[in-house]
Amino acid sequence: MEKSKAHFPAAIPRSNFSEPFWEGTRHRRLFLQYCPRARRYQFFPRPVSIFTGRRELEWKEVSGRGSLYSYTIARMAPKAFRARVPYIIALVELDEKVRLISGLLNVQETDVRIGMAVEPVWIPNPDGTHLLHFQPADPLIRVSNPGPLQ
Amino acid sequence: MALRDNVIVAYAEAKNELRSGRDVWDFAGEILDSLITRARLDRAEINGAILSPSLTGSATAFWQQSTFEYLGLETTFSDTTDLGGCSAVGGIARAAAALDAGLCDVVALINADTPSSDDQFRHRSFVQEWTDPYGLMGPPAAFGLLATRYQHQYGLDPQALAKLAITQRDHALMNPNGLEKLRHPLSVSDYLQSRMIAEPIRLLDCVMPCDGANGLVMMSRRRALSKGYKSFVTPLGYAERSNYQAAISNPDVTVTGHYDAGIRAFANAGVALGDIGSFHPYDDFIIAVMLNLEMFAFCKPGQGAAYIAETDFHFNGDLPLNTSGGQISAGQAGLAGGGTNLVEAVRQLQGEGGERQVADRRYALVAGIGWIPYGRNWGSSNALILSADA
Repeated sequence: MEKSKAHFPAAIPRSNFSEPFWEGTRHRRLFLQYCPRARRYQFFPRPVSIFTGRRELEWKEVSGRGSLYSYTIARMAPKAFRARVPYIIALVELDEKVRLISGLLNVQETDVRIGMAVEPVWIPNPDGTHLLHFQPADPLIRVSNPGPLQ
Repeated sequence: MALRDNVIVAYAEAKNELRSGRDVWDFAGEILDSLITRARLDRAEINGAILSPSLTGSATAFWQQSTFEYLGLETTFSDTTDLGGCSAVGGIARAAAALDAGLCDVVALINADTPSSDDQFRHRSFVQEWTDPYGLMGPPAAFGLLATRYQHQYGLDPQALAKLAITQRDHALMNPNGLEKLRHPLSVSDYLQSRMIAEPIRLLDCVMPCDGANGLVMMSRRRALSKGYKSFVTPLGYAERSNYQAAISNPDVTVTGHYDAGIRAFANAGVALGDIGSFHPYDDFIIAVMLNLEMFAFCKPGQGAAYIAETDFHFNGDLPLNTSGGQISAGQAGLAGGGTNLVEAVRQLQGEGGERQVADRRYALVAGIGWIPYGRNWGSSNALILSADA
């Protein structure tokens, strides 16, 4: 499913300080900014720690495992996404207590539950990086072809 | 000197229009002219000006100074309040601070925007890098995430949301400045059957962007008394909160900055919630009104639907709500839309509500919502308590 559809923007404008995140995605690895003073993670990448305002930040690899904090089913979409409707936009809370907005793939709408365990799915971008999506961690509710274009 | 040493002596509002084809400065000029008439001022007396941002005009630099040049305003103090939908309400506190500091004597607050004719808006935010790639379609999808979480924690009652939508629509029917396209009655089934945009957000949960403008004139109480105004409106308490819970990466999204802003605004005003005669919250989405009811403690968190079921929000009911129809039913004039419910509160307190006049016009509560951050509720929350002065 990943390779056939070019429905993601070809060039995503990126901040210089988010480069380590995108480099990690080339190898399907998830890196988050970590503030050693606060001992907490943050997402999306920032020029400073959101906890201390200081530029002392590290990048740490995390598993990408987490749970579904919330979601919405897009019934209308921006032009580039219209062919995918309906699709699920997820607000995922990683085990590291940070939240990410992402796409939830490989699941029937009726099986989506807040709190369900999720894991990363990496969708290739044309530049060799990947776009992080999620799918149910439970293989029993995972479906390979849940709907059009997913 | 304090907030309440300054007063609002006049308000103005243009009729909301869909794709008017009018220039944004045509709307701003209509407001300036109306304010001069209503406040019985010479243009030269206005030496302070505060603008809201504009989807049409402030995407480029020099919005504020261009506006002054088009309107012929010469100022000793000027500002554009860059707080999204909180801007118009936030402008009141900034005007009072400038008056207190002696930076100017008479302030025109002008909010004009024409996104349905000339939308120049583009993001410079997290949006391009972190949400556009997932097809997150703007505010409806962000409120979809918020509403689904609310539903999970407390349950979401579409009947309660329908009641708010219908009440505000009833008010819009009595507002000649409302968008004509929305001036027809709404039924429960109209609301429930309106199509899903970003589940559980329906089409009738959302505002309709339009062109429009509004404004106010403020000056010190002393000046207002010496100029002999018969009635004016006093800002008694104000508080704002931006980037609420910024240093928490996983906040409860059903708790908003209004929880904090409400407590401080009421403390500043020295009035109690029960004193509020009408409520004018920012209404970009119906569920935002319900969250406001909870955060201002009209009811407990999660009890919004039950409270809505037992409360009459009509202009002549228990708690008059957005009595001009709000943005939801009168149209959202872009970033000037934050002035729609503010101006209506001033109008009501001055006793000029006409057929929708509220009975208790001692105190009104106005609230703003501005900006949608990444995976949270909203970026700025503010609260303003106004009182009628003889």
